[in-house]
Amino acid sequence: MAHFDTEYQRLEVSYNDSPPGEEDMLVHVPEGSKSLWHHIENLDLFFQRVYNLHQKNGFTCMLLGEIFELVQLVFVVAFTVFLANCVDYDILFANKMVNHTHHLHESIKVTLPDAFLPANVCSARIRNNVVVIFIMVIAGVFWLHRLIKFIYNICCYWEIRSFYINALKISMADLPYFTWQEVQARIIEIQKEHQMCIHKKELTELDIYHRILRFKNYMVAMVNKSLLPIRYRLPMLGDVIFYTRGLKYNFELIFFWGPGSLFENEWSLKPEYKRGGNRLELADKLSARILWIGIANFLLCPIILIWQILYAFFSYTEVIKREPGSLGARCWSLYGRCYLRHFNELDHELMSRLSKGYKASSKYMNCFMSPLLTVVAKNVAFFAGSILAVLISLTIYDEDVLAVEHVLTTITLLGVCITICRSFIPDKHMVFCPEQLLKVILAHIHYMPDHWQGNAHRYETRDEFSQLFQYKAVFILEELLSPVITPFILIFCLRRKSLEIIDFFRNFTVEVVGVGDTCSFAQMDVRQHGHPAWMSAGKTEASIYQQAEDGKTELSLMHFAITNPRWQPPRESTHFISQLKEKVQREAANCQQGMAEKHLFSSIQSIQSESEPHSLIANLLVGPPSLTSFQYAQEGHGAHHSSHIGSSDVASALRSLSPLSTSQHLRGSFSSTLAKGEGTPLITARGLAGSTTDTRTASSGSSAWEGQLTSMVLSEYASNEMSIHAVYMHELHKQQVRTEPARHVWHRQDSDDSSESAPEDSEANRTLPRSATFPFPGALSRQEGSTAPMVGQRRYGCTPDGASGTSRPGSRMSRLPMGGWTEDVQAGRHHDTVPEEGSDDEQPPQIHKIT
Amino acid sequence: MNCRSQVLEVSVEGRQVDEAMLALLHTILLHRSTGKFHYKKEGTYSIGTVGIQDIDCDFIDFTFVRLSSDELDRAIRKAVGEFKDALRSSGNDGAGQISLEFYQKKKSRWPFSDECIPWEVWSIKVNVVNLANEQERQICREKVGEKLGEKVINIVEVINRHEYLPKMPTQSEVDNVFDTSLKDVQPYLYKISFQITDSLGTSVSTTMRRLIKDTLAL
Repeated sequence: MAHFDTEYQRLEVSYNDSPPGEEDMLVHVPEGSKSLWHHIENLDLFFQRVYNLHQKNGFTCMLLGEIFELVQLVFVVAFTVFLANCVDYDILFANKMVNHTHHLHESIKVTLPDAFLPANVCSARIRNNVVVIFIMVIAGVFWLHRLIKFIYNICCYWEIRSFYINALKISMADLPYFTWQEVQARIIEIQKEHQMCIHKKELTELDIYHRILRFKNYMVAMVNKSLLPIRYRLPMLGDVIFYTRGLKYNFELIFFWGPGSLFENEWSLKPEYKRGGNRLELADKLSARILWIGIANFLLCPIILIWQILYAFFSYTEVIKREPGSLGARCWSLYGRCYLRHFNELDHELMSRLSKGYKASSKYMNCFMSPLLTVVAKNVAFFAGSILAVLISLTIYDEDVLAVEHVLTTITLLGVCITICRSFIPDKHMVFCPEQLLKVILAHIHYMPDHWQGNAHRYETRDEFSQLFQYKAVFILEELLSPVITPFILIFCLRRKSLEIIDFFRNFTVEVVGVGDTCSFAQMDVRQHGHPAWMSAGKTEASIYQQAEDGKTELSLMHFAITNPRWQPPRESTHFISQLKEKVQREAANCQQGMAEKHLFSSIQSIQSESEPHSLIANLLVGPPSLTSFQYAQEGHGAHHSSHIGSSDVASALRSLSPLSTSQHLRGSFSSTLAKGEGTPLITARGLAGSTTDTRTASSGSSAWEGQLTSMVLSEYASNEMSIHAVYMHELHKQQVRTEPARHVWHRQDSDDSSESAPEDSEANRTLPRSATFPFPGALSRQEGSTAPMVGQRRYGCTPDGASGTSRPGSRMSRLPMGGWTEDVQAGRHHDTVPEEGSDDEQPPQIHKIT
Repeated sequence: MNCRSQVLEVSVEGRQVDEAMLALLHTILLHRSTGKFHYKKEGTYSIGTVGIQDIDCDFIDFTFVRLSSDELDRAIRKAVGEFKDALRSSGNDGAGQISLEFYQKKKSRWPFSDECIPWEVWSIKVNVVNLANEQERQICREKVGEKLGEKVINIVEVINRHEYLPKMPTQSEVDNVFDTSLKDVQPYLYKISFQITDSLGTSVSTTMRRLIKDTLAL
């Protein structure tokens, strides 16, 4: 290589490279990395930890909780071993006399320590028992693993704690008073200063949600598109949903973080899965992996089973003894939580929503009492009750009755029996109004298949609802069965879906600058995933394969916009939201005109004529404390009345917080119209609520108490507003569907016609055209055919063309209409180069995305 | 994730590989280096000067500017040489990728070792083409020169954006941000790595090896 001496030569005069006198001229002050929080390596984990710490109410609570979990584990194992090996049951059951040598002639009292075997006998028994030793070793390894994880977690969370204290300026003692929205607002605030994420100057709410919920969004989308094999048709039981924690854990292991999973790290899908070229090989690979994991599950099954049984025994026995009715209580099933979850909905938001719907839901389920069972239960309860009464009165007369063998047992059993019977006897004063109850439920759970409305009184509806809202006892039973069934599901059902899974991940993954690979549904883009029957007709360009079912995109968008009022949605979404809000407002205004005269009787009338959406709004608005009492009167709890009474105080508090500007904020505008029918204090409160949201972070200078009250009140309003919107959207959807043939059926048919899938509710449904999840509900063999209207495979990472590309700076893999169904033959060569060094986008710099 | 990444792609002839790589890597490093810092007592510092020199390529019609630091040049040449050898030994018309990663170190608490957090990664994808005759070579010589010119402009454009750079460190932290081992210049901490793409895709043996590794990792 030629070496020229050019004019750019180094000055050879001074060895320290600085010409004399320069010290005086150019002096820099280092900024230093004063903040520890700039440029965080793994923002996903970081935000998740920040969220967890918030949800667990601070560091101390979390520490204690984790320590107790560890202790509990030791206790369960140790106690079980002790019970199995060190207790002389013959003494306990008094089959054998205790030989106390020193007082032979006295009456012998048996104490608990008498029943224990001496330590040396005990340890000998343990040592000789191979099974026990084996279990203990396994438990020990498991415990050690947990301990290491615990220590690691503590170290990590200590960092998060100092992040809260130093960066967010929230002390641990105050943390429980902050809502997540406030914490989030502060995080967004400090991003400007600390630059945690280096891609963007500013973070948005959606970025944070995406990172925390990356995998959950995928799961929600997969359940929404009926991709996961969790629905089975069994010969005797009919339609069954089987989705347990164990199964969920395995799904996550396979897709997201297990060895060889589809994701190479928290934030990016492996590049080979983004290309359609070798999808068949990848599907084979995935199915092999599922097979291995299934076999591992099968081998570990006894251990997991033993653990589940022990754990269930120790955690539930006490509860069942205390209140046997709790087994008859219901809870939201794991499937229900997935089905009802919005995209980008955090755990606490979901749980509060579902808890609000709990009362109405259990009431609804209780409407369906089998008359036959009631008669039987009444009589069984009568007979059991009489025996119990005699036994109890005898006991009261002389407590020696208790000493008679099995009397205590009988009393306990009879008590349990009566409680169970009582749960089958309906409340005398209960009114049967399932249709309304279902509407109240809908206001909280936001999702419901179309055919439930109008069929609320039918047993089919009840059965389907019970899949979302199951008995606690069933839940426990399923958890116990899970270790046995999971391997079979993995090996025989999930493997068959591997190609669809590969296609799903390829087609529905977008890369967002500064966030990484996320599920494209979670972008909540109406244009790409909207469903024409859910108010996005004309806006959506999605094929049937791309449409989210049940209006999930639209409802999620509304939910996110309402819970995060400061979020700036992209243009089309803003349009969608404002249009919908306007509609709701107009309806509300319309019915208010008619409200004045028929104030009294319209409440009854409007319930009857529910076909029109505006009557629904009337329904909500009518009556003295209209909105909330409609929802809550049914449930008969006054939690909301308190917030009503409090609202006038709130109004004054709010007034002090924010200037009386009428912000054009959506919530403000909507709620003020809504509030016209209500008492004046509420109007001001609500009107102000909107403007306060904007100034919320700005006004953090005011006293902490006021700020917290504001955000509590706001979140309360937000949930009510979302309820109204959800009900309204469902109502509109119902109208729309009525005009055209039904586009939707509950329990969409799976894409392969394997025997256990593809349930239909009734023969009638079968004739309806359906917008089933996949374009070809037919046989698997058809997949290979080119029946799909291939619009051209757009490859991952390429800029979408014209119209779709310009609208949004964040690059996204735009619509990929069923790309998964055809082989991509035009894979360019340069795309085969696998970038290893974490290159997040594969574009040359000149078209590098700027956000 | 939390790092920017830039991808450059070039198609060159076998003998042009190292010059093209040197040109691009040096151009990036030129803009990602400063003079040596000299810290003063009051927590301030002054920056030393940086020499630059023009380098003419033998096999490409191209001249680029690089820091006149022989140590830096030696380090980069070594990495590029290894890359070229690997590319050649892969046999058939290879394709490969060399990446230059800038990172900063972050001190961690006791149980963890220091983390190296990358903030910018430049990946250069190389396609090696085979040319039949001298005339084509001549054309290629000019074309590659033009292409490299464009790439350099790209690089400068990217670097000119106002984007995240590690903050200027205090004296105690200077090793976490800059590579202070060189005596005449001070580039940001960087790492060069490369990988060769098999044109056949992943072979059977690597798949098997990965499978075993995965099974063990379980």
